[in-house]
Amino acid sequence: MFYRTAGQFKTSYIADQALFPVKQDAFLLGIILALAWIVFPLTASEFTFQTLLIPILIYALAAMGLNILTGFAGQLSLGTGAFMGVGAYACYKMVTLFPWMNPIIAILLSGVFSAGIGVAFGIPSLRIKGFYLAIATLAAQFFLVWLFEKWSWLYNYNASGAIQVPNLEMFGVFVSGPQAASVTEYYIVLFVVTLLTLLCINLTRGNLGRTWKATRDMDIAAELIGINLMKSKLTAFAVSSYVVGVAGALYVFMWKGAAEPNVFDIPLSFQVLFIAIIGGLGSIMGNYLGAILIVGLPVVLNVVAGTQVFQMSGLGAGMLVALAAAIAFLGWVARSGWTIGAVAGFVVLTLIYGYAQTQGVRIDSALIEHINVMIIGALIIFFLIIEPHGLNQLWRLIREKLIIWPFPH
Amino acid sequence: MKHFTKLATAAALGTVLGTAAIAQELYTPNLAYRTGPFAATGIPLMNGQADYMTLLNERDGGIGGAKIDFEECETGYSTEKGVECYEKTKGTAIVTQPWSTGITLQVLPKTNVDEIPILAPGYGFSPMADGTVFQWAFNMPAGYWDAADMIVQYLENEGGSLDGKKIAFLHLDHPFGKEPLPVLEMHAEGKGFELLPIPVGLKEMQNQSAQWLQIRRERPDYVVMWGWGAMNAGAITEAVKTKFPMENFIGVWWAGHDADLKLVGEDGKGYKSISWSFPNMDAPVMKEIKERVIDAGLSQTNEEEMQGVFYGRGLVMSAILAEAIANAQENFGTAEIDATQLRWGLENINLTEERIAELGMEGMVPPFSTSCANHTGHSGGWMLEWDGSKFVKASDLLMPNVEGYSDLIESAAAEYAESNAPWDMNEECSATN
Repeated sequence: MFYRTAGQFKTSYIADQALFPVKQDAFLLGIILALAWIVFPLTASEFTFQTLLIPILIYALAAMGLNILTGFAGQLSLGTGAFMGVGAYACYKMVTLFPWMNPIIAILLSGVFSAGIGVAFGIPSLRIKGFYLAIATLAAQFFLVWLFEKWSWLYNYNASGAIQVPNLEMFGVFVSGPQAASVTEYYIVLFVVTLLTLLCINLTRGNLGRTWKATRDMDIAAELIGINLMKSKLTAFAVSSYVVGVAGALYVFMWKGAAEPNVFDIPLSFQVLFIAIIGGLGSIMGNYLGAILIVGLPVVLNVVAGTQVFQMSGLGAGMLVALAAAIAFLGWVARSGWTIGAVAGFVVLTLIYGYAQTQGVRIDSALIEHINVMIIGALIIFFLIIEPHGLNQLWRLIREKLIIWPFPH
Repeated sequence: MKHFTKLATAAALGTVLGTAAIAQELYTPNLAYRTGPFAATGIPLMNGQADYMTLLNERDGGIGGAKIDFEECETGYSTEKGVECYEKTKGTAIVTQPWSTGITLQVLPKTNVDEIPILAPGYGFSPMADGTVFQWAFNMPAGYWDAADMIVQYLENEGGSLDGKKIAFLHLDHPFGKEPLPVLEMHAEGKGFELLPIPVGLKEMQNQSAQWLQIRRERPDYVVMWGWGAMNAGAITEAVKTKFPMENFIGVWWAGHDADLKLVGEDGKGYKSISWSFPNMDAPVMKEIKERVIDAGLSQTNEEEMQGVFYGRGLVMSAILAEAIANAQENFGTAEIDATQLRWGLENINLTEERIAELGMEGMVPPFSTSCANHTGHSGGWMLEWDGSKFVKASDLLMPNVEGYSDLIESAAAEYAESNAPWDMNEECSATN
């Protein structure tokens, strides 16, 4: 109904190859862009900027970089955290050595350094595959973090061994550092992320993307049809590391404000990898969905858990109902009995929690944190059971159902 | 993407609801960590802090008539969660207690813009002592540079001149562990001992065989340790295993946790830790807490834990904050003080022997006072020694020789201000001092 494609004729090859051959897709994207560029910045609080909007965008960008390598070119990497670190340290050195440099240029340039390092560590991929390659990238992870600790030139011989983001100005406005307003930081992150997303979508649709996919699906066959594997794999490493490096620079300069070397350690790599897997390998939009689930949801749950369930305003109660309805809707799409259980469990948990609050049971923040971790873990398993190919595939199913709705097939 | 809108509304809604509920009280959130890799050391400290505030609420109805809302926000010692907690609480909070060097590093520049005092008792960045530069940051009663200075003094007092001796500095390879290096290096040069820094990576905390092999090979006269969490237990068990003489092994105050030493019991006898707090079980405040908080079922602590050094330290930390609140209330004549007024309170703490006795905390904290230029107080501390079952005082009150490194404090603070320019300083204060 909402997605009826009848009457949308493609009369030329150009129209057929358009980024959004279906009108509704372009319309939906327009709404999302309007939300991101206009509505959120006008309405969001400092807390929303710092804990939801900015980190979700940055993590989505990092996952997108990894997705190019792992999802599109099929080369498993466990070194994402370290490559983010290369971007961050490169950016730090650039803005401290050349204070006149435009911060956005510095952020975009810092990706070049991580691309170089990425290619260097990508060379083994020419000979080894799969799990063995993952181990080789793991070496990059350990080596680079060690280097960030030991090479004091990188952090300007700072006694604490951490990098501190200075206050950076652009056209008389602070864009980075403690003096910068959250909304400015958000716009810069949004600008860079939009730019790189556009770049990645078109790269993966084009010639290069096709060679990557061929390499991923069967490298011998790809070689037989004339694809240069070395070129294909190394460009994937370069583009991927570039995007990851820019995400790393944003991560420290636009969000954290300071970072010690162990921030870039393996847990960060895993977090980005989880976002890419849960969002859906081989997709662009999946990275955003994955980041919302893994980075955003815990924050929201924490806030919701801290408020009194039964004293919630109508809006809050409506939101809980909407959440349950969303899960039920997913169940209809995925045709899985699991969802009914999930909805029931969700409602029962909310009632128990609300009842406990009215009885004056003390629910301290450590307990909330434990429950939060459990809920997120359960949700990850839930999503992977109803759709093993990630959230992106789930969205694709929803979209297909909507196109043929109300007919079942 | 519909999710996104929902999330944003949820977050906005949560903040609105959250602020409405707590407007009537003094909101002093604590960025606690009862989960994660450092939980074992965090829990007794958090319990001590919370219990003291509960005592005030129960006994006196808060401070100056205003109840204290000592809400905890769980960070699990993760910087990301810490910043999240800071952003969540800063709207109505009159103070922030970041509780890890990593979180302190990130929150420190923000507090200068948001104008919220940051209270980091005994941790954080040592140059925070310079109150004219770090006008919103406090690390009383003593900083890491004080600790390093007192340890060197103690070694000199006990074993004579350090000339030609070798001191191994076993530290966590992390901003926290590197913190005392400038003062130790200064003393190594001045007093002629050899300083041998031995870093322990975050991943090697539990298995320090390589570091202790190096210690065995180098045969240092003393080992000074800047450790935290699992690193302390790892180092102490390794020291016992390699038969390092325990009386030559000294830790910072965060390396004096009873539970770590109980692992080795008698074998750990002689191990020392410098400390600005002591768990005096005979102090009146301990009895009151036992009666009104623990026996009333308002605490999460237990009999064994409350006798430990860390629980007592938690009490002292909250007592310092309570003292600052009371100061501010008295000076500004209002019970509901704001963040700026609390800063005045923190800058005008004068904990004399008499005042400490009045609070019922004799022997639990050395007397100290702060000013707008001195945000640390430099209280000094005692050397505590493990006697096989508990920590006992092994020295009189040691006082740091602050003049020795005041230049260092000043230059490090100036450097920080410069690299974070434009950085607001307390101009009035520099004029009057």
